[in-house]
Amino acid sequence: MSKALANKKVLPSREAGLFKELLNLYEGRQLKKGLKTADTILKKFPEHGETICMKGLVLVHMGRREEGIDLVKKGVRLDLTSHIVWHVFGLIQKGEKNYEEALKSYSQALRFDKNINILRDAASLQTQLRSYESLVETRHTLLRLRPNLRQHWVGLSVAHYLNGNLKEAKVVLEKYLATLKNVPSHDVEQSETLLYYIHVLEELGEYTEALSLLDSHSRNRDIVDKTAISETRARLLTKLSSPEASEAWHTLLERNSDCHTYYLGYLASHGHPIPPSTPSHPDPDALALISSLTTEFPRARASKRLGLVLSEGDEFKSRAEEYIKGSLVKGIPSLFSDLKSLYTDNAKCTAIEEIVERLQVEFKDASSSPKGSEEPTTYLWTLYLLAQHHSALGRHSKALELLEEALAHTPTLPELHIFKGRVLKRAGDYWGAAACVNEARVLDGQDRFLNTKTGKYLLRAGCVKEAGDVFGLFTKKDAASPGVDLEDMQSMLYLLEEARAHETNGQPNLALKKYMAVKRIYNEIEDDQYDFHGYCLRKFNIMTYLRMLKWEDTVRSQAPYVTAAVNGANILVASYDDPEIVKSLAVAHEQLSSTSKKAAKKAKKKAAVAAAAAAKMGGLDGKTPQQHSNEDKGLEPPTAKDEDPEGLKALTGEGTPVLEQAWKLLQPLLEVGLEENVEVWLAVYDVAIRRGRYLQAVGALEKAKKAGGEEHPEVHVRVVDLKQRAATLSDLKEPVKSVLEEAIKKLYPVEVSPETFNSQYLQKHSQDPKAVIAAARASKILNAPVEEVDGTVFSLLNTDINLSVKVRSPSPPLFHLYFRSDVAMCTMYRTPWSP
Amino acid sequence: MTSTSSKQSRVSFASLTENNLGTVRKLNSVLFPIKYSEKFYQDILAPEVEDFCKLVYYNDIPVGTISCRFENKDDQKVLYLMTMGILAPYRSRGLGSKALEQVLTAAASHKSKVDKVYLHVQVSNDDAKRFYEVNGFVQSSVHEGYYKKITPADAWVLEKQVN
Repeated sequence: MSKALANKKVLPSREAGLFKELLNLYEGRQLKKGLKTADTILKKFPEHGETICMKGLVLVHMGRREEGIDLVKKGVRLDLTSHIVWHVFGLIQKGEKNYEEALKSYSQALRFDKNINILRDAASLQTQLRSYESLVETRHTLLRLRPNLRQHWVGLSVAHYLNGNLKEAKVVLEKYLATLKNVPSHDVEQSETLLYYIHVLEELGEYTEALSLLDSHSRNRDIVDKTAISETRARLLTKLSSPEASEAWHTLLERNSDCHTYYLGYLASHGHPIPPSTPSHPDPDALALISSLTTEFPRARASKRLGLVLSEGDEFKSRAEEYIKGSLVKGIPSLFSDLKSLYTDNAKCTAIEEIVERLQVEFKDASSSPKGSEEPTTYLWTLYLLAQHHSALGRHSKALELLEEALAHTPTLPELHIFKGRVLKRAGDYWGAAACVNEARVLDGQDRFLNTKTGKYLLRAGCVKEAGDVFGLFTKKDAASPGVDLEDMQSMLYLLEEARAHETNGQPNLALKKYMAVKRIYNEIEDDQYDFHGYCLRKFNIMTYLRMLKWEDTVRSQAPYVTAAVNGANILVASYDDPEIVKSLAVAHEQLSSTSKKAAKKAKKKAAVAAAAAAKMGGLDGKTPQQHSNEDKGLEPPTAKDEDPEGLKALTGEGTPVLEQAWKLLQPLLEVGLEENVEVWLAVYDVAIRRGRYLQAVGALEKAKKAGGEEHPEVHVRVVDLKQRAATLSDLKEPVKSVLEEAIKKLYPVEVSPETFNSQYLQKHSQDPKAVIAAARASKILNAPVEEVDGTVFSLLNTDINLSVKVRSPSPPLFHLYFRSDVAMCTMYRTPWSP
Repeated sequence: MTSTSSKQSRVSFASLTENNLGTVRKLNSVLFPIKYSEKFYQDILAPEVEDFCKLVYYNDIPVGTISCRFENKDDQKVLYLMTMGILAPYRSRGLGSKALEQVLTAAASHKSKVDKVYLHVQVSNDDAKRFYEVNGFVQSSVHEGYYKKITPADAWVLEKQVN
């Protein structure tokens, strides 16, 4: 029996030679020949696991995926102690982006052979999965196997660094540098390694050591990145409070006098640290330093802008006037967005208003005749700035008045039309806004910015088809639709805006599709880092690589993902609560498609005929194309056909239950530093409480309360919801039960009934529209009669409610709001039959 | 150009394309009392008139337009100036003269010889007439009933020989 087993595994020399050839053919992607060789071996040894695996791998590359994978699995079963079969299996799993399983297979392979290729792949997988402890081990093994390779030393140091062990990272580098002999100067790899070494020392707080290393190596020309040398030097000198620091920053300013960071560094080295992004930090001494720099670098704007932060009162006024006037004369369109961050300081906001209003009067006369001292364009930009100012403060009519004057002056400046659209949008007139932005678009059909804005505004108005037509002017002509191309190009703006439009139009199923597309893009972004784990270390781009890893760790905290995840989860939760939503959507879709079924049938027939013709032309009889068998299709599965184009199956939970889908969307948000984001924790609560994860739910609600305050309308709704649900929970086990009770007590500390709690809340916030809606929703949760809920909602019509904040209407009758004069411009509540 | 040190004025011209035609339409709609036909807009895009149909930019903002077409009159090749206009706030700054000069220079150096340039001015529009006379045009006749939809309907015909 043992002989039979040996026969299965060890090939005689002729076949062993063939197998080696097979491996080489595979490496060279000579797939057709490889397949033939495998078959030759298998003719004699049909049970040879390694060959079966290799044949399967080759088949997958040739596009015969299922057949290939079956063979690989069979091969693994036949030879569980071969590193080759496990390596092949790991490759297949990696191709499917199943990193966890792939790593398991690689670990199996490593049990039988410490192969350097397998170790490298395993290291990449461990980095991808952020299992840094095992990464250190793998890198250690690699270094022990081949200590003569430079990248193995650096690889181990980086692994220690990622694992948070800076001391070890440093020790490895020290040892590594000691082994080096005769490194030529200007060696980029050495240069990058040294910069990384200095960075490690800096993070360890060993500034003196870092500085002397930097200085000696920059003198030897070992470090070639000159900017990095100067910036690191200035930073280290500042941290050491050295008198040379300011000199170092000054050198940098000579190179680039418009770099904000350099100015902050310069001031810090003089003992004036400025907190980043503050509107006001009055400091006369710092201001004097900045003034002398302004004299030295008169063309730089950064120092003048910084002067607006460091000054206050009359000093601010005179500086702001000079700054604004200069910018208007120059015609800088982005002036307002430059100034906007100062507006959080009320005094500065008022001062700017005074200045610009004075300039408006002054320039109006000075620009009206050719003999005047100012250009007409200067006056035009002044009107534009002032309109933006008023609009930012919510004075829509005033802004429109100024824009009308500007448009009468010069109707050909696209910025004016765009901004008029924006004001109308802010006032709630989405249709008017889209029309204005389109005016700007037709002025310059070549401008993609204007095109995209128009598409976006059309989507805000709910016009999905029209938006597609506009976007289509710039998308690839051979794409199936503009939307498909924009999704390929990873346009978050398009996906999120169209999703929002579908939601407004009452088609959450289509909205969910777009949100899921955003999620897919983020999956791709995460997958894309994989290849860099090997590449960057081989090329010694260490610092960039470390920055990339850090960025990838928190990439899901970006606004597009957060929006998609939260809104997508909300849609799923709504359809979980009320399955009628999906049913009525399905019925509507059915009706729509039955009318267009005939057309679809026709199209299908046509497509079938075309396909048949194509097949005939290729001379195929339905089998795999033999001619193309050497074409490498890679290991990644081809994108599957969309089985759910309407998104209705996702919404009914066919395949994956809706709450599981929602949870998958939200889960990546839990640990990426979004503690301040109320929406996230509210969504987490909504999903967790319905999944029966009570402790997780109360935890999320506590966070929401911390981020938004206990009076936050949405938090209020959840507190009532929690209290209501808790009353019906009886069969909870300890310790969950007591922990939950304790948490509820904290969230709901009062002794009154939920109904009283809710009406007290309503009384307290009867002027705040969001709170009124929240109270109405809470009373619906408490099963109050419909009349009572409606009554609460309709109290919004009372004129003492401040509607400067727009409310998304939860119930159609709210369109009556347009009778109120203070929201006269708003069209969002109107229905087609209202005037 | 009158330009003081605090003022900065940049004048430039751009050829017409399908894409900036919207700007020309916008300018025409505020500058002239006439609504121009689609054919007019197609004609000014023709490659042979590229040097004679321009957008006028002032400090990078389009503020005026000039457009011409070729005509054959009594075996002579003449250039007819169809439209020329500058937005009100930008007038008397030499923009019109520069635009006209641009066209006249192009006419003088055109590969097929251009004999003269002519145009119509509504008889009420003294300012326009003076502008063209300053720029070397002379009145040759009065075209009675030239305008169909606006009054006065008569137009002066002004022309200038191209050397």
